[in-house]
Amino acid sequence: MMDFIQTVVSGIAVGSSYALMGLAMVLIYKTSEVVNFAQGEMALISCFMTYMVLEYHGFSFYVAFPGGLVFAAFLGFFLEFAVLRRAKEPNVLGMIIITIGLEMILLGVVSWKFGADPKTMPFPISPWDSVALGAVFVSALEMLTFVVALTVMVILFLFLRYSKLGVAMKATQQNQMAARLMGIRTNRILMITWGISSVVGCLAGLLIAPTTMQPYMMWDPMLKGFAAAVMGGMTSLPGSVFGAYIIGIIENLFGGYVSIEFKSVVAFAIIVLVLCIRPSGLFARHYVKKV
Amino acid sequence: MKGKGMWVLFAMVALVFGFQTGTMAEEGVTDTEIHIGQWGPQTGPAAPWGSVARGTDAYFKMINAEGGIHGRKLIHHMFDDAYNPAKTKAGVKELQEGIGMFAWTSGVGTACGLSVKDYLMERKIPWIGPSAGSLHWITPPQKYLFAVYPLYYIEAKALCRYAVKEMGKKRIAIAYQNDDYGKNGLKGAAEELEKYGLELVAQVPVEKADTDMKPHVMKMKKANADVVLLWVTPVHAVRIVGTSHAMKFQPQWMSTSTCSDFPLMYKISKGLWQGVIAATFGELPDSDNALLQKYKKDAYGKFAAKGERWGLFFYAGILFSEPLVEGIKRCGRDLTRERLVKELEGLKDFKGIGGKISYAPLDLAEPYKSRQGQKEVFLVKCLEDGKYEKLTGWMRIE
Repeated sequence: MMDFIQTVVSGIAVGSSYALMGLAMVLIYKTSEVVNFAQGEMALISCFMTYMVLEYHGFSFYVAFPGGLVFAAFLGFFLEFAVLRRAKEPNVLGMIIITIGLEMILLGVVSWKFGADPKTMPFPISPWDSVALGAVFVSALEMLTFVVALTVMVILFLFLRYSKLGVAMKATQQNQMAARLMGIRTNRILMITWGISSVVGCLAGLLIAPTTMQPYMMWDPMLKGFAAAVMGGMTSLPGSVFGAYIIGIIENLFGGYVSIEFKSVVAFAIIVLVLCIRPSGLFARHYVKKV
Repeated sequence: MKGKGMWVLFAMVALVFGFQTGTMAEEGVTDTEIHIGQWGPQTGPAAPWGSVARGTDAYFKMINAEGGIHGRKLIHHMFDDAYNPAKTKAGVKELQEGIGMFAWTSGVGTACGLSVKDYLMERKIPWIGPSAGSLHWITPPQKYLFAVYPLYYIEAKALCRYAVKEMGKKRIAIAYQNDDYGKNGLKGAAEELEKYGLELVAQVPVEKADTDMKPHVMKMKKANADVVLLWVTPVHAVRIVGTSHAMKFQPQWMSTSTCSDFPLMYKISKGLWQGVIAATFGELPDSDNALLQKYKKDAYGKFAAKGERWGLFFYAGILFSEPLVEGIKRCGRDLTRERLVKELEGLKDFKGIGGKISYAPLDLAEPYKSRQGQKEVFLVKCLEDGKYEKLTGWMRIE
């Protein structure tokens, strides 16, 4: 029984980083219907910049981390403004291809600038210290990630529902032309969305980096975050978080009791299943655009 | 008209003779140059092993700076295959058919090497020192393929032997990468333990995409292992040791040479690598071995790029190429592929910065003897700050 509880708790722990990535992807999708495949690498470069400031320039952790988040925000602004907005006759597929291109460029920049040797981010909490709840172990860093993921979800949820900017974001997604006619500067809204999304992704990266850092570290969390978002319906913030935890738990249970070899791919099998039964995901209300 | 006809005849004769001289000389060898090819991941997930090819490059530059070999310079053609076998194959073909390599050296990765093994062997192109300890290089043995890297299989045997005989351990488990690399370790460990009437108490496969190691650690903890062999990548190894630490499971960790770069492992594990025992195939980075010191001064010191670290992988690129250089030296000016094979087959207890290297004339019944050069490893323990403690001398595993 203890094994089962440990497996479930471990699943929740690993689900938190997927949840943050899922939230970041949902944000951009909500406003522009673009799946941002550069999400992981945007977080990656922000993390490596934070690492650079910490390790090479000797800044304190309390300066470097907020600095990293600010960098992430500006990176998001910049990419939307300088790259995506410049696309001629943009359509969703074209935009997605652009994000894949960005992903490769950012990955290349990080590999070139920082090399491929694995690194580890200095962090006040060791990723290998754990808290024992009876016979169940949870690492302190995982608890922190869990709290951060839920907090970010609640803040974003409230922000989108009750703030003016949040409502403007929703309006932009539903009908850009109408939103513009209502006086919303949709370009600016898109830029801000990219900034916020980049910050959320960076938070996920910064919480993964104390374990090990290398150019490919965001690939798996990004894919799993994307899977979680798809499961939750791509537009639902709580849905993507819920999806992330479900994926984390099922993955761990599958690894523990069925086959450890196929642990990593089981997430994608679940998605196929979910999409067969509920094509719009578990949480999204089916939204049909009228022509 | 007559004049024109003479020109055509002259051109044809020149062409015929031109072709003849082309086919007579050995491919990749001119009066002043020897062309050697090598692949290695400079980008992608295996990029930390990219320093192998850069090590070879610095080594060849050092030789050239000292006058080359019998008046010929070594021209090193290295390309980045990103640890992707499809790219390895394309790159090897391009260099071989475009420029023409005399031989190939090192080359990181079992899968990458396997993708070009048949291509090189069918064309009778020598390939020396694949940078992976796979059994594939010698099963079946090939006339033109000379392995240097001691097999992962014998590293596992050496570690198990030490664990059982010197440390008195009985409950040994293994976490292995679910591919050829990991399975070689698994095979060696199982075979060695069988000799002592023991079995592996847990065999836990690790997929390259796995990031969460808790299910893996739980399996080993449940099996109550007191020694765990790690046949995985450095990043996975650190994650397993770290997760185990968090779950209060602390066996004796043992690992393969791919995780024996202690300064790096100590740093990325935040000190948890201390106490880990690993097998290794070359002199230690701070060893006072005269030859290693010379390489450090003349190859690394003069030709390594800025920011390059003097680590095991870097000088492994030298170690894997030493037999090739020795073979070329022994050929003299008369350098052909057949002669090189003959000279390599004559190497007996050749000593560079690794263990002793010997080959023998090709014998299909004796793959290990005829084509596995280095059969020795020694064991080291990681101390504070990633320093090395030598636990054994060279252990010869037959």
